[in-house]
Amino acid sequence: MDRHIYQSEHDFMHKLEELLKSGVKPEEIETRTPHPVHHAEELLAEPQSNVRLFTLVGGICGVATGYLFPSLTALDWPLYVGNKPLVGIPPYTVIAFELMVLFGGLSGFLGLLVTARMPGVRTIISDDVFPDQFEIYVKKD
Amino acid sequence: MEHNATATSASAHPAAVARLKIERDVIMAMQKPGLLYWGLVGLFGLGFAVFLLGAWGLQIWKGVGLGGQNNPVGWGIYIVNFVFWVGIAHSGTLISAVLFLFRSKFRASFNRAAEAMTVIAVMCAGMYPLIHLGRAWYFFWLLPYPNQRLLWTNFKSPLEWDVFAVSTYLTISVVFFYVGLIPDLAILKRYTRGVSRHIYSALSLGWTGTKRQWRNYNMLYALLAGLAAPLVLSVHSVVSWDFAMGLVPGWHTTIFAPYFVAGAIFSGCAMVLTLCIPMRKLQHLEHVMPIEHFEKLAKTMLFTSMIVGYAYTIEFLLAYYSGNVYEFGIFKDRATGFYKFQYWGMVFCNMIVPLPLFVKKLRRNLKWLFITSIFVNIGMWLERFVIIITSLAHEFDPYAWGQYHPRAVEKSIMVGTWCFFFFMFLLFAKFLPVVAITEKKEEVV
Repeated sequence: MDRHIYQSEHDFMHKLEELLKSGVKPEEIETRTPHPVHHAEELLAEPQSNVRLFTLVGGICGVATGYLFPSLTALDWPLYVGNKPLVGIPPYTVIAFELMVLFGGLSGFLGLLVTARMPGVRTIISDDVFPDQFEIYVKKD
Repeated sequence: MEHNATATSASAHPAAVARLKIERDVIMAMQKPGLLYWGLVGLFGLGFAVFLLGAWGLQIWKGVGLGGQNNPVGWGIYIVNFVFWVGIAHSGTLISAVLFLFRSKFRASFNRAAEAMTVIAVMCAGMYPLIHLGRAWYFFWLLPYPNQRLLWTNFKSPLEWDVFAVSTYLTISVVFFYVGLIPDLAILKRYTRGVSRHIYSALSLGWTGTKRQWRNYNMLYALLAGLAAPLVLSVHSVVSWDFAMGLVPGWHTTIFAPYFVAGAIFSGCAMVLTLCIPMRKLQHLEHVMPIEHFEKLAKTMLFTSMIVGYAYTIEFLLAYYSGNVYEFGIFKDRATGFYKFQYWGMVFCNMIVPLPLFVKKLRRNLKWLFITSIFVNIGMWLERFVIIITSLAHEFDPYAWGQYHPRAVEKSIMVGTWCFFFFMFLLFAKFLPVVAITEKKEEVV
C-alpha cells in the first residue's frame, strides 16, 4: 500500500486528481483527513450515505407511534370529555412530531455506527490516531 | 500493513501551523486549571449540595407546603425556573443547528459551549417539575403506562406533551452534542496518556477520519441539525401551551408560542455571552473566539430583544382591543399592581438595556456585552415570573385574588440550581474542548 502524506488540503487534492488521472480507481483509494473535504468526496464519487434511510425509517416509526399509541390507549378505556372526539388528531400531532424527532435522531445515530463501522475496537485499543494531516492510501494489486 | 510513505516537508506549511495552533490553543485551555479554577468548582459543587440537595431533601422530609405556592398561586418559582431553564437551553441548539443549516461561520466559536449549556440547562429544567411535584418519587406517573385501574395518561393535555417535548429535547441535545464531539475526542487521544487516553479513545469510537467515516458523519450531522432546528421551535411552543391552553387571563393567547420561542432564543444568546466572555479571557481563547463573532451574537440578541419587546406591547394592545375585562384587568394589574416592579424591571432589562447594541462600538465591547447579558438574564427570569405569578394571583374572581411570596426553601433551590449549572459547566470546560477544533480547522485554507 502506497501512502502519501500532505500538510495542506490543496496539495492533497492535487495528488488525488493526479492519481485518478493516472488510472487509479476511486475504490482503490482510502483517505484520512483532519476535517471533511467535500470536493474529495465528489472526486472519489462517494455514494450517498445510508444514514438517511436509518433516519427516515426511525422518523416514520416515530410518527406512526405518536398517532397510534395515544389513539389505542384512548380506545382502550373510552372517556368522553366535553363532547370532544375520543381520538384527537391535532393534540396527538404534537406527540407524533416529538417522537419523529426522537426516533429519527436515535436511529440516525445507530445508522452512523452501522455505516461507518463504529466503534472500531481495533483502533480504540491500538495506537492508531486521528491525524492532523491529509493522508492518501493507494491499494496495490 | 506495510506502507511506502511519501510526505511533504511540512511542518512549516502555513496551513499545518494554523491547524496546530487551533488544536493547541483549545487543548492547552483544558489542561491548565489553576487553584482559582478548582476553588470555583469546589464552591459551586458545595453550593449545589447544600442549597439544592439540602433544601430539596428538607422539602421532601417536611412536605411541599414548606414552599410559598398555595391558592391561588399554585405554580410558584419552581415553574418559573423550569420555563427559564428550558429557555436558556434553546440557544444552544439554535446556534448549533440553525446556524449550521445556514452555513454561518461564527457558529464554530460558540457551538460547543452552547451545546454543553443546553444539555446542562435541560438537566436544570428537568429537575423543577420533580421538585414541584413534592413527592418526587412518583415522577413516573407522568410517563405513559397503564396504572392500577388500567387508565393511561391524557395525551390531550399540554402537560403530557411537555413530558414528550422536554425528554426528546434532552435526548436529541445529548446526541447532537456527542456526535459533534466525536472527532475532537479522537484528537484528545493524541494529546493524552494513561487512563485519560483510553477513555477518550473509547469515547471517540475509533474515529480516524476516513472517507467513509466523514461521509456518514456529515450526513448524520446535517440530519440531526435538520431535526433539531424545528425541535427548538416545538419545545418552547409546547412549554408556552402549558399556559396558553388554560383559560387564565394573560395566558390564553395565540401569540404565546412565537413569543416564548423568541424569548428563549433571546435569553439563550444572553447566557452564551455570560459564559463565553469570561471563558475566552480565562482560558486565553482570543485566537479562536474573535470579537467579530461576539458582535454577531450581540446582533442576534438585539434582534430577538425587539421581537420580545413587540410581543410585550402587542399583548397589552390585544388585551385592550379584545374588550375582555378580565384580560385587560390582568395587564393593568401587571403594570400598576403588586408586581409592578417585576413588570417594569422586565421591560427595562429586555427592551431598554439591549437598545445601545445598535452602536457598533458597544457590540464590540465585551465588558458592555457581558453587563448587558446579565441584565437580559435577570429580565428574562422576571418575564417568566410576571407571566406565571401575576396571572394566577389575579384571575377572574376578586375574592380569589392573592399574592405569592417565594419562601427560603424555594430561593435556596433556585440558588442551588445556578450552582449546579456553573459546577457542571466548569467541569465541561476542564474535560472537553470548549471550541469545536475540527470545525475551526475547516476554516483554515
